[in-house]
Amino acid sequence: MSDAVTLSLTTPPEHALVADCIRADRLAALGEKEIGELPVLHGGRAAHVGDFFRVTGGRSGTVRLEGDLSRAEGIGARMAGGELVIEGHGGRDLGVAMSGGRIDVHGDAGENTGGALPGAGRGMTGGEIVIRGSVGDEAGARMRRGLIVVTGDGGQGTGKGMIAGTVVLFGKAGPGTGRFLKRGSIVALGEVERPATFRYACTYHPLHVALLLRYVGVRCRVDVTPAQVAGRYERYSGDLAELGRGELLRWVGGGA
Amino acid sequence: MKINGVAIEDTFAEAFTMRVARLVITGRTMGWAREAAVKLTGFATSVIGCKCEAGIERELSDTETPDGRPGVSVLFLTMDKASLPEQLIVRVGQTVLTCATTACFDGLPDAPDRLPVGKALRVFGDGFQASKLIGGKRYWRIPVMEGEFLIEETFGMLKGVGGGNFLILARDAEAALAAAEAAVAAMTGVPGVILPFPGGVVRSGSKVGSKRYSNMIATTNDAFAPTLKAVTQSQLPEVVNGVLEIVLDGIDGPSIEAAMRAGIRAACRPGVHTITAGNYGGKLGPHHFYLRKILG
Repeated sequence: MSDAVTLSLTTPPEHALVADCIRADRLAALGEKEIGELPVLHGGRAAHVGDFFRVTGGRSGTVRLEGDLSRAEGIGARMAGGELVIEGHGGRDLGVAMSGGRIDVHGDAGENTGGALPGAGRGMTGGEIVIRGSVGDEAGARMRRGLIVVTGDGGQGTGKGMIAGTVVLFGKAGPGTGRFLKRGSIVALGEVERPATFRYACTYHPLHVALLLRYVGVRCRVDVTPAQVAGRYERYSGDLAELGRGELLRWVGGGA
Repeated sequence: MKINGVAIEDTFAEAFTMRVARLVITGRTMGWAREAAVKLTGFATSVIGCKCEAGIERELSDTETPDGRPGVSVLFLTMDKASLPEQLIVRVGQTVLTCATTACFDGLPDAPDRLPVGKALRVFGDGFQASKLIGGKRYWRIPVMEGEFLIEETFGMLKGVGGGNFLILARDAEAALAAAEAAVAAMTGVPGVILPFPGGVVRSGSKVGSKRYSNMIATTNDAFAPTLKAVTQSQLPEVVNGVLEIVLDGIDGPSIEAAMRAGIRAACRPGVHTITAGNYGGKLGPHHFYLRKILG
């Protein structure tokens, strides 16, 4: 057992690399050799983790990935616990259908981050994803529970069809953010376009946002300003074309 | 044993096991947090008549609270497991939920026994309430006219200690009051302890039952009432003309001991004759606080 399992990218993939076997809870039960033998798909062809990564350590719930993984798909898919840190960019389907643990990306992440598996009604149902960069389209789509924090910009349709949970966007939100939201919260600290089917409710100090941002600042080590914590937010209820019990909270300043 | 010429009687304070919860109430200002805490802990001096005992433990700075606002820590105690959530739901619902700008958080997050206080109060939202899971804890957002009332879903419950006490026997009522005030000042803010009576002081110490009225569960402690010295089996020395009692509840025995130590030392001042404590021969409760041992 080691403090952490480290997977260093030695052979950058030339095609899409489906690596949904890389999840912290699964690697926690495996040794170095077993991890290297886990199956991946490279351009639709069967391969192994060891063909692309140098594996160091084993049997640890903390996994560190090094390198540009923007072509790696499905990392952290169905993850139920542990911590997965990507020192670089992550690809599409990062953390899809995850139910616990934390994924921390020190770079951008691709489409459908925290979203649902193809054909599934629910996206992530728990856990936390922190993207220290921008995220692709439809991040958090159909998510049922959990937290996604994006320090950069959000793609098109962020939080599309969310059932519950929270997405925090520090940068600019893409078009269609929050569309078809049933429940859940999208906290927009940057520019955001309100969908036509959201209705303005009020401008107030949402205490749960203060609590959430303090948590994000301390636990996720993301820079949060006192003005964002104690500030005023416009609340838009929506999506009124759906259940309408969700909210888009747009920071409008104020606070400390 | 004497401290500053005041005799410390060789006896013990007898206390009993209670159930305790700690609430952290925050507000836009300390004033609003205190308003809610004062109302919440009102009429909560003794389980004999109030069904619960409660008090402000200490004030919290904005760095000590979950939401970064000033707050007040409150301890709340009852005699049994069932009545603690009942009392909390009624009282928080009427005094904290109603108080402008406040929020209510659990102050015993590690306690395994959980009381569904926020879970019960959420229905005030009439279906418009929403929950948020932040850092593994669930909070309820109850829409109110001001905006939203935020309360944690569950609150921790521990076995606490109720009924820690000591009595200040003084040459006159003025000296007893001055000593009691000094003791309360020294005990205020000791972590894990509250003084549930007005100003932290009790003038109407009681004995169990009645000599005359069968329906009374507690009546005046005639053995310590100076006006009855001539007509009852008084325990007061001739020179004593005023007695006041300090009652303490707490999270655990060491907290009670620490507060008693600070309080008794502060109470040993001119005009005070003896410090003693109330007990029932060890039959009432399992917690015995020996004065000389605490001060030794």
